[in-house]
Amino acid sequence: MALTPDTGLPGTAGDVEAHAPVEPLACGRDAAEVWDHAEAGTLDEHERSCPHCGAAAADARGLEAMVGRLAQEPLIPPASVVDRVVGAVLAELRPRDLIPLDSPHGPAALDATAAAAVLRGVVDAMAGMRARSCRITRPSASGGTPGPAEVAMTVTARFGVDLASATARVRQMVVAAGEQALGVPVARVDIEVVDVFVDGAFVDEPGVAR
Amino acid sequence: MTALQDAGELRPGPGTTPRRTPPRAVPPPAPATEPEPTRPVVAAPDDLDEQTLVVRAQEGDVRAFETLARRHQVALYRLAVRVLGNRADAEDALQDALLDAWRRIGSFRGEASFSTWLYRIVTNRCLGLLRRTRPAMPVADLSEAGDVLGATRAASPERQAELDAGMTALATALAGLPHDQRVCFVLRELEGLGYAEIAEITGAGETTVRGRIHRARKTLAEVMRPWR
Repeated sequence: MALTPDTGLPGTAGDVEAHAPVEPLACGRDAAEVWDHAEAGTLDEHERSCPHCGAAAADARGLEAMVGRLAQEPLIPPASVVDRVVGAVLAELRPRDLIPLDSPHGPAALDATAAAAVLRGVVDAMAGMRARSCRITRPSASGGTPGPAEVAMTVTARFGVDLASATARVRQMVVAAGEQALGVPVARVDIEVVDVFVDGAFVDEPGVAR
Repeated sequence: MTALQDAGELRPGPGTTPRRTPPRAVPPPAPATEPEPTRPVVAAPDDLDEQTLVVRAQEGDVRAFETLARRHQVALYRLAVRVLGNRADAEDALQDALLDAWRRIGSFRGEASFSTWLYRIVTNRCLGLLRRTRPAMPVADLSEAGDVLGATRAASPERQAELDAGMTALATALAGLPHDQRVCFVLRELEGLGYAEIAEITGAGETTVRGRIHRARKTLAEVMRPWR
């Protein structure tokens, strides 16, 4: 649009009309505003009695009735769309960060995303706690061998949960899961409580399917 | 930050305080020594809030992304069908847009809501598709326009026929609008979004958005007068 020079000529292209202000009605009122008021049912004194505003409001109501019917038509995408997307996402997944594992039989490593999913699952299984971010690093120890892992997590907690004891439990569980489920000693767990939730309080976006 | 050595001692540093004030209607907190419920409920992805899912998806969690995609797909599909005028293209646009969203989710910074961000990706995808297929676009193809319509049969056959004709006329007129006008109109009148959010989605100024919506309304109202 920016490439189209403004010739000042009345054109049929959208460029000219796109930036034109909404033309006021003959009575001077902003036509778009009257329309919004008609749709919202908030017409003021003038708008209710003025013939120009009345005509605009009648147009608005007439169109609204049909548009309302159109909006009610159920349009549900086939489930295969998201299935195909997830299939494509999984197919193009490449290991990103790898966590080296202690292995006497040659090099072994664990995908950090998978490891994070395991640790998040441990937290999700605890009453009143949910894991959000989970980052695991395994810095090299002095001899070049991998040192113990460090975990940084953000969590949300149910309103009313005792945060001090809950985070202590999270820490214990993460350390245990690191060693037992992942085979990685964990030396440090940083936990940040970033939000609280109330059961059933998560409100979906309009029009979402669950 | 708390090291393992002082486990059990939560040090609430900056940002650790819960941000959201819980609503008043919430029951009082249970005593700190509450026993664990015998069967702890594991939070499935479906139970998780959007921000948690977004963060997890940004860290590579495909299941979290899948949950987000399923939550938003209906609204995104509706937008695509109404902008493109047919379901087959809308499915393609939705699929491409969701893949695009996965690849770019790291760039989502939370300035706008996640749904606005997704709407923007779908809108761009649709407009790109329309620009490419513009010359062949059957603006007044009734069968295509009718494709947008489902079937809600309640009125008498005569009235129903009249309503169907009106709906087809509306869908056809919608398809005949300039693309930018149609996108803004659909977001406003069919998705119920505000001017500011539409401006965010389309990248146009709020005044421009207002103008486009008004011109679309006027055109459509004109077409629909005989069906009032």
